[in-house]
Amino acid sequence: MRRTLILGACAAALLLGGGLPAAKADETCNSPFTTALINGQEEFLHVWTLGMPGLGDESDKLVTIDVEPGSANFGKVISSVSVGGRGEAHHTGFTDDRRFLWAGRLDDNKIFIFDLQDPAKPKLHKTISDFSEVTGYVGPHTFYAMPGRMVVQALSNVKDHTGVTGIALYSNQGDFIEKHDMPKGGELGGDGYGYDIGINPNENVMLTSSFTGWTNYMMDLGTLVKDAEAMKNFGNTMAVWDVKSMKPKKVLDVPGAPLEIRWSLRPGDDWAFTATALTSKLWLVRKDAKGEWVAKDVATIGDPAKIPLPVDISISSDRQHLWVNTFMDGTSRLFDISNPEAPKQVYSKKMGNQVNMVSQSWDGKRVYFTTSLVANWDKKGDENDQFLKAFTWDGKELKEQFKVDFIAEKLGRAHHMKFSARPNSKAIGSTKEVYQSLLN
Amino acid sequence: MHSSLKAATAAIGSTLLVAVLLAVVDLGNVAAEAGEDRGVIQQVPLGLPSLPARYATLSAEKVALGRKLFFDRRLSFNNTLSCAMCHLEQDAFASTQSKKSIGMEGRTLKRNAPSLLNVVYQKTFFHDGRETHLDLQSWLPILAFDEMANPSMGYVLDHIEKLDDYPARFQSVYPRQGIAVQTVADAIASFEATLLSGNSRFDKWHYGGQQDALNDVEKKGYDIFTGKGRCNSCHLIGKTTALFTDHQFHNTGIGYRASMLDDHIYVIPLAPGIETRMSAKEIDGFGEKTQNDIGRFEITHKESDRWAYKTPGLRDVSRTAPYMHDGSIATLEDVVDYYSSGAAAQNGTSPNLTKLNLTASEKVALVAFLKSLDGDDQKTTGD
Repeated sequence: MRRTLILGACAAALLLGGGLPAAKADETCNSPFTTALINGQEEFLHVWTLGMPGLGDESDKLVTIDVEPGSANFGKVISSVSVGGRGEAHHTGFTDDRRFLWAGRLDDNKIFIFDLQDPAKPKLHKTISDFSEVTGYVGPHTFYAMPGRMVVQALSNVKDHTGVTGIALYSNQGDFIEKHDMPKGGELGGDGYGYDIGINPNENVMLTSSFTGWTNYMMDLGTLVKDAEAMKNFGNTMAVWDVKSMKPKKVLDVPGAPLEIRWSLRPGDDWAFTATALTSKLWLVRKDAKGEWVAKDVATIGDPAKIPLPVDISISSDRQHLWVNTFMDGTSRLFDISNPEAPKQVYSKKMGNQVNMVSQSWDGKRVYFTTSLVANWDKKGDENDQFLKAFTWDGKELKEQFKVDFIAEKLGRAHHMKFSARPNSKAIGSTKEVYQSLLN
Repeated sequence: MHSSLKAATAAIGSTLLVAVLLAVVDLGNVAAEAGEDRGVIQQVPLGLPSLPARYATLSAEKVALGRKLFFDRRLSFNNTLSCAMCHLEQDAFASTQSKKSIGMEGRTLKRNAPSLLNVVYQKTFFHDGRETHLDLQSWLPILAFDEMANPSMGYVLDHIEKLDDYPARFQSVYPRQGIAVQTVADAIASFEATLLSGNSRFDKWHYGGQQDALNDVEKKGYDIFTGKGRCNSCHLIGKTTALFTDHQFHNTGIGYRASMLDDHIYVIPLAPGIETRMSAKEIDGFGEKTQNDIGRFEITHKESDRWAYKTPGLRDVSRTAPYMHDGSIATLEDVVDYYSSGAAAQNGTSPNLTKLNLTASEKVALVAFLKSLDGDDQKTTGD
């Protein structure tokens, strides 16, 4: 009965979107099931921030920054909600109605649900503290909205802290519904690992990627790199799932820890990109001439021998460009993906000693960068830059508009970003209208 | 389990605190309560000595309580770590995932998690032997800053008291003391005392008279182990039983190499068939500084104990890679190569270590013998 309800909800969503181009992501990598998109000027930027020992209150927190040009507080921190202690704050995701923001911690497995009714003043609405006990998984990483549901991709498990893990479904109210183990062995041949989720509703396809378990992602990066056997404990696959049944149907070989998944946003397109962190490649996942989902290595990022560690990627809404951050050299690179089979790097800019996340506005004219990867992989001492930098992009050059130094502000390590706007803002458009506009 | 120098200092303090508390509360009460249990005599597998009297008879209820504590992540400060997360049952109660254990908030411990199989026979605990009582040992990792990171014993006891599923069970097993410093450690120690590994194919051959239990290559390996390889000068084999340890501390050159010679090039696997190389200096540019480790000297301050570590038992050794106190050797084959080449000899290394010049076939045989030491796979059960 429970499953029937879930599938019913999904099917209804697909029907609503049917005829419509698939509702892809907004700004530009959220779930396609979010009902509203910010296609105008974003007003607030929320940064899920890791507490740092010896700095400020030392706790993880949701930091909100006013990013509306002309505002008296433009570029300033206007809210900081500490959640208590450090648990490896990492990624966030909106519920489908954008009212709530789910924010997870990879170490102690707590999930915090913030109410954004007043986006200038997020409030902690609910805390889920039994994720591991209920699911057996560790490291709630990706929060991906479905109609009335939140899909949570984990990274590890309570039994042995390896990368074998799964996906949990919750209601928007925060109640556990069901779980699905990642494909491992058997006919599909998966490695059981997980990382990101990307859904293409029109294709009824969910892609998942693969990273590593608690032991590795919590370990100091230098210690890890010196441990050859531990370095073998990374995922080398992506999985293709049937969304309606939530069953994996194919496993793709994508060696070297494929991380973020970004579908082309143009309605009707059937391809997605990922970047492999360890092997420094861009991979294209698409259907071949026979209609089979395949993955192929289409570009090299930096010098793989130096492990530049490509991390976050961000696709432009016109699917002409892809921002690719490489953590180790602190550089953001722009690839021309007008021919997705042959991406070409066309621009780069050094952001600092390290850079991780990148988020761009719907029109691609504003791009934001933060620095923290995971606490023990971040660089040490003076190399440990922790900032948010906001730029404008004119097609040729990134021009810095403001910077928030998270160390000077005694906030912590700046990680995942999400945009928001006041409920009555003109910046918000309906999913249907915004995606239709991509066809014009 | 292990801990850093900082944690070791804290742990020594904790041990002193335990000692003071024990003087007040009377350790004898715990043993007396154990004696009142309707105990089950533990069956000792072939090849193992008789058990210390205190652990020869244990009640199933106490062992089950200890097992529950051992596996309970709620015993760590942030509910993420238990004894079993570094001493994994499927890995012979060691950890095969990383060279060194990873503790609270990802802190790197100084050493590799050793197997707990047959721990009841050990005379000292931790690689440096800093603890001498099995029924006190568990408090050190529970309190260590880089392991389970609880702020105090009282905090832990209060925490357990508030958990719904413990007070009644403690009251049943320890009716006079309930939840106490001694009973928590006693229950865990009692469970650990049941982690026995024997009755291996080696035992069946050597002590059981089953001639076909080992094949010819393994028997040749035994001859090397006790002959040309001189492995049994530290990894002792007795007339009727074998723990494969002399319970002593030796400088095998591994600690010296890590402290003084970490300048080599690391081969870094990136994906199957793909690797790169980096120098230690390059890696240290973004990683944390490796904690120095001078072994047993940290406990005794004896010159002879510098870079000396306890001789580990070898039962189930095929299941406990990586090897040595710091996990710096990945395979049994590499361990044999290391000792065959005379180890990283320097002043202070054990006189037992000299160049062995084992042939390729002798190395194969020796490794085959070591793999015959896997005991019965006895999976523990409980909630």
